Amino acid sequence: MISIKIDTKEFSVDEGMTILEVARKAGCKIPTLCHKDGIPHYTSCMVCMVLDKRTNNFIPSCSSLVQPGMDIDTSGAEVLNLRKKAIDLLFTEHRAECEAPCRVVCPAGYNIPLMNRLLGSEDLTGAKRLYSSGLNTPFLWCWNCPGYCENACRRRKIDIPVSIRNLQIFNSGETIPPDSEPVQKPQKVKKRFSSFTGVLDPLELSEWVKESDKENIRHRELSDRFSAAAEARSCMHCDCRAAGDCRLRDVAEEFGIKDTGTKIVNAPALRKINPATNLIFENAKCIKCGLCVRICEDKTEEPALCFINRGFISIISEPLTDNFVDVLRTRAKDCIEICPTGALSCYKGNPSDEIKK
Amino acid sequence: LHFKKLTTNRTDTVNSKCECQEKSAPDIAGIIEEVVRQIGTEKDKVIPILQEVQKRLNWLPSEALKQICRITEITPGQISGVSTFYSQFRHIPAGKHTIRICQGTACHVKGANLISDAFRRVLKIDTERNTSPDDLFSVEEVACLGCCTLAPVVQIDDKTFGHVKPTEVDNIIAEFLHHAANKKKVKDVVDFSTGSAEIRIGLGSCCVAGGSREILSEIIEVREKYDLDVKLKPVGCVGVCNQTPLMEIITGENKHSRYTNVRKGEAEDIILKHIKPRSLNKKVKHRLNDLIDTFLSDNKIYSPVNAPEELREKVLNDFLKKQFHIATDKSGILSPESLDEYLLLDGFKSFRQCMRLSDKQDIINTIMESGLRGRGGAGFPTGKKWEIFSRQKGSQKYVVCNGDEGDPGAFMDRMLLESFPYRVIEGMLIAGFATGAGRGIFYIRAEYPLAVARIRNAIKQCYTAGILGENINGSGFDFNIDIFEGAGAFVCGEETALITSLEGKRGTPHIRPPYPAVKGFRDMPTLVNNVETLVLVPWIIDKGPAAFNSIGTEKSKGTKVFALAGKIKKGGLIEVPMGTTIREIVEKIGDGVAEGRRFKAVQIGGPSGGCIPESLSDTPVDYEELARLGAMMGSGGLVVLDDSDCMVDMAKYFLTFTHKQSCGKCTFCRIGTKHMLNILTRLSEGKAEISEIIELESLCLSVQKGSLCGLGKTAPNPVLTGLKYFREEYEEHTRGICRSKRCMTLLRYDINDKCTGCTKCSQECPVKAIPFLPYEQHVIDQEICTKCDNCRIVCPENAIEIVNLNDQY
Repeated sequence: MISIKIDTKEFSVDEGMTILEVARKAGCKIPTLCHKDGIPHYTSCMVCMVLDKRTNNFIPSCSSLVQPGMDIDTSGAEVLNLRKKAIDLLFTEHRAECEAPCRVVCPAGYNIPLMNRLLGSEDLTGAKRLYSSGLNTPFLWCWNCPGYCENACRRRKIDIPVSIRNLQIFNSGETIPPDSEPVQKPQKVKKRFSSFTGVLDPLELSEWVKESDKENIRHRELSDRFSAAAEARSCMHCDCRAAGDCRLRDVAEEFGIKDTGTKIVNAPALRKINPATNLIFENAKCIKCGLCVRICEDKTEEPALCFINRGFISIISEPLTDNFVDVLRTRAKDCIEICPTGALSCYKGNPSDEIKK
Repeated sequence: LHFKKLTTNRTDTVNSKCECQEKSAPDIAGIIEEVVRQIGTEKDKVIPILQEVQKRLNWLPSEALKQICRITEITPGQISGVSTFYSQFRHIPAGKHTIRICQGTACHVKGANLISDAFRRVLKIDTERNTSPDDLFSVEEVACLGCCTLAPVVQIDDKTFGHVKPTEVDNIIAEFLHHAANKKKVKDVVDFSTGSAEIRIGLGSCCVAGGSREILSEIIEVREKYDLDVKLKPVGCVGVCNQTPLMEIITGENKHSRYTNVRKGEAEDIILKHIKPRSLNKKVKHRLNDLIDTFLSDNKIYSPVNAPEELREKVLNDFLKKQFHIATDKSGILSPESLDEYLLLDGFKSFRQCMRLSDKQDIINTIMESGLRGRGGAGFPTGKKWEIFSRQKGSQKYVVCNGDEGDPGAFMDRMLLESFPYRVIEGMLIAGFATGAGRGIFYIRAEYPLAVARIRNAIKQCYTAGILGENINGSGFDFNIDIFEGAGAFVCGEETALITSLEGKRGTPHIRPPYPAVKGFRDMPTLVNNVETLVLVPWIIDKGPAAFNSIGTEKSKGTKVFALAGKIKKGGLIEVPMGTTIREIVEKIGDGVAEGRRFKAVQIGGPSGGCIPESLSDTPVDYEELARLGAMMGSGGLVVLDDSDCMVDMAKYFLTFTHKQSCGKCTFCRIGTKHMLNILTRLSEGKAEISEIIELESLCLSVQKGSLCGLGKTAPNPVLTGLKYFREEYEEHTRGICRSKRCMTLLRYDINDKCTGCTKCSQECPVKAIPFLPYEQHVIDQEICTKCDNCRIVCPENAIEIVNLNDQY
């Protein structure tokens, strides 16, 4: 047995326990990103930092074993500042939006990307349900709106934007515009934290567009469900598929982080899709926690994701010798579940779940 | 005495590489099968396999990687992770010859980036493919070639060029191609036949780069020509790297005559001055030639032969006087390739002494009493480490010699391994014997081929002599040593990263505890000691702890080896007692900075250390004292800076290095160093605001606190010491001023009225930015100028100035 102090309280614990385990038992809340119980630790995110007051060293609690005489501080100002700095730094690398730009600027806060996904998959009932659940105004604003959403549409940078207002009007099923003043400027709708993608390279943009345009012809006139579906499919899905289930976002909200929008680029933001396993990998969202690599380490017969390169440019990737569609044939679901961000998520998503949230 | 005939493996490996190149379609599957059969199929063999495959194919095609996965236990994930982590491995084909441009600290301060630009420009090599259009040359910017005293250094295949100027690139390439085409087999075979006189010639990497191999073949020719009765002996590094090649002649009466800076063509005169030909006929012929020469040319007068002995020796004595040799004991005497000689000069005496002791604990106590601390940088007490390690139980315990010296501007370990391989082995044996370990591993950088070859040769000889192997000297003690070649990752100098690398994984560090001494390589207790630490052990055992203890300061005992380089008159490898002040090193040993320049600072400890300003240079060399100033002992690189070096540029240089070498595991080191580098880059371009300096400082402190391993924790040191001692320089950069004229974006080249219109600059300009105007003052077109520095080098009138962009014409 070892006796240590956590936040000035004395504890007597077994040798071989980590500080995190002891602290959790003691009721201290320590955020973690790269740690998952039962999986070998990797000590990457440094969000779980604590201070050992005895040596005045900051140590990651998830993997540091308890040592006799430790005097741990889990919530001092210095500790919180360092954690905040770690999250700040992670966000400068995390080039992605939690909420799509069109939705962020929408005065009514419509969930535009989700509507597009539903319409695109010709799920008209789902789309209709979303429309009725998402409305917080008595009438559809799109009739009189100057189109902030279409202005913000990322597609606009290299192409004509998705005709979001037409899609929304089509989805509402209403035909006569309401008799009211046009919307002048976005009203503040209380929103959750959202990070930014920052400036995207034209090359990256064209990659994204290519992906949404596969065998798709766009329609400006939305006469029927098919033309609406085609137009909806041209949406680039700038929002995050895991926006409701993202530990990084939770931690950011907990610490009151503001994404300043200054981003550094370590690799082109690409989307790799495996339709067979319903898996999408977006490297720009990855925080290199290595969880997906570690859970596959015990099973070596099928190609799994791995780290490539070194240092700042190190990324998660399929092994050099394999194609992305060959990796994670059976473990895709586990990887999606364990990913603390939206870097690995369901390609098709699960729209009905999102509405419930 | 029976000395064996020896050959060095170095040229052989280079040749085999070239042959593979010439094969049109290599049989990949066949080659890989052969390599795997030779090395093994286990997971931890991945690095040696990749190294061997690359040696044969010159690069790693993806079919080769797939094939390796097919026939071994190595998984695709592991192989792609490992092959992209280490910088040695290439995934695109390289040219026939590789040009390695040293980016070490000493080379950097002497303008290595201009050299690299010049090579790329002349050979039309772009950054993407890195190979010239004719597939003849590839360019590689390497962290350090360890020839810091010859800076800037360029190595093309196995030929090293020192003091390179950007205007000389054409000549260098021509010379290399000429050399490659008429490659004479340099006589590497050196016989140890006895003779009445002895000639010693340094064959350390620096000496070889300085041309000692040519001198050696000249000596052999002279010996044959005059049938001289002399013995030839190649010796390791003497440390006087600024005066290479070094030659020493010992004549019968035990009289030593040393010559520095021996040039081609001088060897004959020097030898004949001291050693007379045996036959009368040749004696007369030589005398006659000599006499005629004296009348016909002036060469004789300036020849080193005629220099008075005091003057000749003074250079060496000044350099060596302040030093104290423990690690480098008997430098210039010991041949690095002869075990017999090492044995004759008390080699392995300490080890025998240890074996006679009844209690192994006595050895550990001796080391503990001596106060020896780890020479890798952090300074953990070695005795304590041994004590902890010896108490561990394990079916196999390992001693690892850490020779992964990656610091730019440091070459101590390389030199110790090259010059004193037997002493390192002895230190390792003592460590193994004292702590009950049965296996030793040398982890040596692959960039040090000569060190690897010498250690390999030494181990082989030790096995033959029964010093290594099973049941050594009938004591029941078994000890086996293997060599592991690193693959180019600075972070692997960190002990936990080194062990993961040994296990065939990406060399990422992990958290301690568990310490490697408790749970390390293959989960067994592993003792990781630096080369220099191990090299000191035999001396301590032999002379006793008190002898070691009496040297140095209160907390730092013994001596420290430094690689002294940079803007200094006499650089080299020095060993000084702890507590020697920095000023003594710079002014007494190094003879100060060049004329007309002002000593500004020393950069100590490489990328983990910091810059200590001249005003604090009375600080003694001591672990605690240096840490107090914000620097660090590090592994011992000591680069002297003068007033033409910019502190922002230095910080940027080191951050570029650490950011490239970071393993990318933890957030602070991976992203934090990148942000620091971005701010420093903006500063050096004059784009940063004053508020960004404060941001930089706070970022530095966070990275220092929050990083996982030593690399990240010490990476901000160069910036923090810069901000502490040279803050005004940082602030000036926000106003677009670089007082040292180093940050090129803030500067421009100008021609002043000293110009005589000789048109040299116009002819040399690679981009035609200077119109050809004979007898008129030339003008530089600032729009076209690429600031390559060529014009300034060729100008005979010093008419070309570098001025701040903001200054008026």
